[in-house]
Amino acid sequence: MTNIKSIKAEGGLTEEAHPSFFKATLAIIQKDLSAEFRSFELISAMLVFSLLVIIIFNFALELDVKVRQSVTSGVLWTTFAFAGTLGLNRSMSVEKDRGCMDGLLLAPVDRSVIYFGKAISNLIFMLVVEAVVLPVYSLLYNVNLFRLDLIGVILLGSIGYAAVGTLLSTMSAQTRTREVLLPILLFPVVMPVLLASVKASNGLLTGAEFSEVLTPLNLLIVYDVIFIAIAFMVFDHVVEE
Amino acid sequence: MYLETIPDTSAYMIGGYAFAFIVMGIYVFSMYLRNSNLKRDAETLETLQAEEAKKSGTKKNKS
Amino acid sequence: MQPRPLVLKILDFASVIVLAVATYLALVFAPTEAVMGQVQRVFYFHIGTAWVGLLGFIIAALAGILYLVTKDARWDRFEVAAVEVSTLFFFITIVLGAIWARPAWNTWWTWDPRLTTAAITELIYIAYFMLRQGIEDPERRARFGAVYTLLGGISAPITFMVIRLFRTIHPVVVGSQSAAAQGGFSMTSDMKTAFFFALFAFTVIFIDMMWHRIRLGNLEDKVEQLKLKVSM
Repeated sequence: MTNIKSIKAEGGLTEEAHPSFFKATLAIIQKDLSAEFRSFELISAMLVFSLLVIIIFNFALELDVKVRQSVTSGVLWTTFAFAGTLGLNRSMSVEKDRGCMDGLLLAPVDRSVIYFGKAISNLIFMLVVEAVVLPVYSLLYNVNLFRLDLIGVILLGSIGYAAVGTLLSTMSAQTRTREVLLPILLFPVVMPVLLASVKASNGLLTGAEFSEVLTPLNLLIVYDVIFIAIAFMVFDHVVEE
Repeated sequence: MYLETIPDTSAYMIGGYAFAFIVMGIYVFSMYLRNSNLKRDAETLETLQAEEAKKSGTKKNKS
Repeated sequence: MQPRPLVLKILDFASVIVLAVATYLALVFAPTEAVMGQVQRVFYFHIGTAWVGLLGFIIAALAGILYLVTKDARWDRFEVAAVEVSTLFFFITIVLGAIWARPAWNTWWTWDPRLTTAAITELIYIAYFMLRQGIEDPERRARFGAVYTLLGGISAPITFMVIRLFRTIHPVVVGSQSAAAQGGFSMTSDMKTAFFFALFAFTVIFIDMMWHRIRLGNLEDKVEQLKLKVSM
């Protein structure tokens, strides 16, 4: 493999040959988003699945007006967790199937760029789905979910979920059992995100004191920071060829 | 002074301890089984390896 | 495979002895608790196994980090041993906890922070083994295992901290009004003796089992290498 620096010295390649971290990450996100917005196969699958889950919950739990208040955040987060698994799996298997992963690994960029690019794309897909699910749920159950603070909690929770999920889906994609393994690996480890998000969302929806919401929120932020850092440090070990 | 009788929960206690010992015992036994199986495999493989070395040794001599 | 070194033989013997002594202390020496009766005695083994379960969890995470840094397969074998032995002891912890809960709180299970975290931790261990089973390449197996023990090791304590916040919402377990229902009982000095000795005994047993499991791992590795050589 020829030395990129020497080629640069000869004036053979432009700055694009060795892109900055930011530009490279953006390129990966762009690739994923443009591929998705052409076919919408990932988001539509996640969306339909989410709506079906909400309908199932309607029959599984008697969501009468009184119960609804206390159960909404749990139902929402369960839906997001399951739909998220779908998205993560599909997103990673598509890379493998199309051989993109090999191409990405050969690119002259830091491996963590791949991680951040994929994680942010996965996050965006999750957020798109959540953005549709929230109004639908609000309509179906006559609950006002259009609050900035609630959206903030959902954003933080989704960040944690996507951060760990992307790392683990990269691993599970390389096993024999592939997609089946992801929920088994992911759910126990992402439990703090689900728990803290549910607790915080619940606090907001039932009008609890701010201190009751602040504590799980803090833990959620701590989790996000710690696990993004860990994923960043460890991702190299997960994609070595 | 009126003293309530202590409830007889010894059945649970016996069950608990029995469970703990049985599980630990099963694990130790499983390690023993795995160990003896692996030892057998190692011996078989070593014999195979020695035979192969002899064969290639005699082949070299012939050629 | 080398025969057992003398230290291990002594340790095996010592493990049996301390287990016997711990059992005696728990079943005979310690006084019967006034409210719950004999079932409280499972508490000694419950805490002993919980302690080593958590210890193993931490050791596994550290071994994982060391493997990723050094890429030395010995740390991988150490990590597998830690997870396997801990899974076992933690399983005993959970079941003993349920056995204790049933007569004390009138329910087999309660979603209190410790029990829930224990269940989740056990699931992390099980997921670890499922992950390793799905990978053929031993080097990748070791790498992924190490990453997962690290993730699990850090998320479990955070889970515990978060669940504690839920206590205000979920009702306390319905049971008798005695102190036992709230899970508390004060320990007499005899009980404390049994308690601390149980901790010590299970630590010894844990080290003994880990040593054996590591030796087993070494043997597994040797057999795999032989298989590769012979098939060539």
